[in-house]
Amino acid sequence: MFDRDIWQEIFYSIKNNKLRTFLTGFSVGWGIFILVMLLASVNGMTNGFYSQFNDDATNSIFIRPGTTSKAYAGFEKDRRIQLRNDDVEYIKKSFPNDYEHISARMFKGTSARYKAETGSYSVQAVDPDHQIIEKTIVIKGRYINTNDNISAAKVAVIGRKVAEDLFKEEDPIGKFVEFNDLPFRVIGIFTDEGDDNAERRIYAPVSTYQKIYGNTDEIDGIALTYNSSYDLTKSLEFSGRLETILKRRHSIAPEDQSGIRIWNYAEAFSDISSFTTVLRVIGIFVGILILIAGIVGIGNIMVFIIKERTKEIGIRKALGAVPGQIIKLVLLESVFITALSGFIGLLIATGILALVGPSIQSPAFTNPSVSPSIVITATVILVFSGMLAGLIPAMKAANIKPIVALRDDK
Amino acid sequence: MIKIENLHKSYKMGSNSLHVLKGINFSVEEGELVAIMGSSGSGKSTLLNILGMLDGLDEGSYILDGVPIKDLNETKAANYRNKFLGFIFQSFNLINYKNAMENVALPLYYQKVGRKERQDKALKYLEQVGLKDWATHLPSELSGGQKQRVAIARAMAAEPKVLLADEPTGALDSTTSYEVMDLIQKINDEGNTILVVTHEPDIADMCKRIVHLKDGVIVEDKKVKQVRASQYV
Repeated sequence: MFDRDIWQEIFYSIKNNKLRTFLTGFSVGWGIFILVMLLASVNGMTNGFYSQFNDDATNSIFIRPGTTSKAYAGFEKDRRIQLRNDDVEYIKKSFPNDYEHISARMFKGTSARYKAETGSYSVQAVDPDHQIIEKTIVIKGRYINTNDNISAAKVAVIGRKVAEDLFKEEDPIGKFVEFNDLPFRVIGIFTDEGDDNAERRIYAPVSTYQKIYGNTDEIDGIALTYNSSYDLTKSLEFSGRLETILKRRHSIAPEDQSGIRIWNYAEAFSDISSFTTVLRVIGIFVGILILIAGIVGIGNIMVFIIKERTKEIGIRKALGAVPGQIIKLVLLESVFITALSGFIGLLIATGILALVGPSIQSPAFTNPSVSPSIVITATVILVFSGMLAGLIPAMKAANIKPIVALRDDK
Repeated sequence: MIKIENLHKSYKMGSNSLHVLKGINFSVEEGELVAIMGSSGSGKSTLLNILGMLDGLDEGSYILDGVPIKDLNETKAANYRNKFLGFIFQSFNLINYKNAMENVALPLYYQKVGRKERQDKALKYLEQVGLKDWATHLPSELSGGQKQRVAIARAMAAEPKVLLADEPTGALDSTTSYEVMDLIQKINDEGNTILVVTHEPDIADMCKRIVHLKDGVIVEDKKVKQVRASQYV
């Protein structure tokens, strides 16, 4: 392997056939380049998809009421379903072991004013548990707590953008901001990994908003997380039970899909997982096809080289070269070409990714990158494919009879 | 040194079989210089190839230095060639990208001799053929006679039992031919066994024994009085 003479032979052969070696190496290098880029792109898409979702807890379920599409139990169709506080209590009582966190939700719009600055924002009136369900990150102050809800305190947790818009340089914590002319005390500022729009939101206690809107007990939706030890089947089964029970409670036909909508994150998440897996498999598959083309190219060149060096091989055999030594010579040459050119392709690809990757942050495509395991796998594939490409020509070379080889006049 | 009994060899040409060697009985003692003569198609090259283990035999026996040569696989044949035989070809068969010294050192490489020792030995044999100053030259920078002398040095380097020369002067003009024969004679004088295939009578006369082949059989096998090549040089 580390025999100076063998390497001398290989370098000679490469040096004297620069174009041929380049073309062959290029096909393999290109193959590896595309393979790495392909896998990195798949990674980028995967990252993009996950970053779309990971600002919510992945075990969350959202319940929203709708309008019935079927007449049922004496009610006409097109009836609006209204969720109320006791729906939340009912779920808590019915599924004590299934849910982890639960929060009522109200969605309201508001025009907010602080001093001379105004803006219109959406308000989500929620329970303290909502912080965990939405994975809200409070960067300053605190989130809504149970006391706020009990006392229906006029407090608000505002998004980072809201704070920037209204308060500019000022520290908003403790200041009063007017929502539709009602003063609310700012108790916290939050940020959201998801996007800027989420940071233009305001959270307030649900009880406060119910009081403002005429002492109602109506809510616009329920968000909850299920027991995090549940797998996909169990979580789907749980959201199924949830649906059945809520439909019964609100006298909705069991087959009516629009009366109440239950959206289970796990479902979407598993869809995405299988989608990205398929994407990855396709990526690897296409990459391997390209690699095969490169390997065939190398094999082709090796056959040609052997043909050209037939006489030399004959001389070597006459001088006492055993077949193993001839095989070694040819194999090492092809491994060398594949490994080197593939490595260059790998370097260029990872170089481009390292330079450009982190700056790509679009929703569908985030930080395309390759893991070390991919790099190692690619290298192993390279060396192995080099061997494969050289094997048949090498065996052929070793089996040339010296007498035939020496007769080869050229 | 060499003992051949009832040697037969035929080549398949499509459906026909060409019987090239039809029962050769032949032996060579140590230190002999034998010319194998014959017109083309007489089987002389085939005989040399079989002697050189470059080709197998169909029938008969071949004993080289007491070792029966039969049922050889490629690896074994290669090892025997390396140990027992040195080849000198008509077309020199030097490796064109290796310089003279590297060419001479090649059989030693296959004997797994260390790098330094290979170089020393190669230089020693180049000196013997008078080409020490040309050690770093590529074959393309050498004349025909010089190339053949490098080839002879290469054949000698492995210190073989028998040197096999296939038309060693076939590609050379007569003056150079005599120079090469002079060298071969000198090597023979030192006690080396050499077989020379040739179709030129004057070259054959410079050997000590002439074996005449015709249509695959030995028709004449005589000792001759050696003509020294040095007188023509």
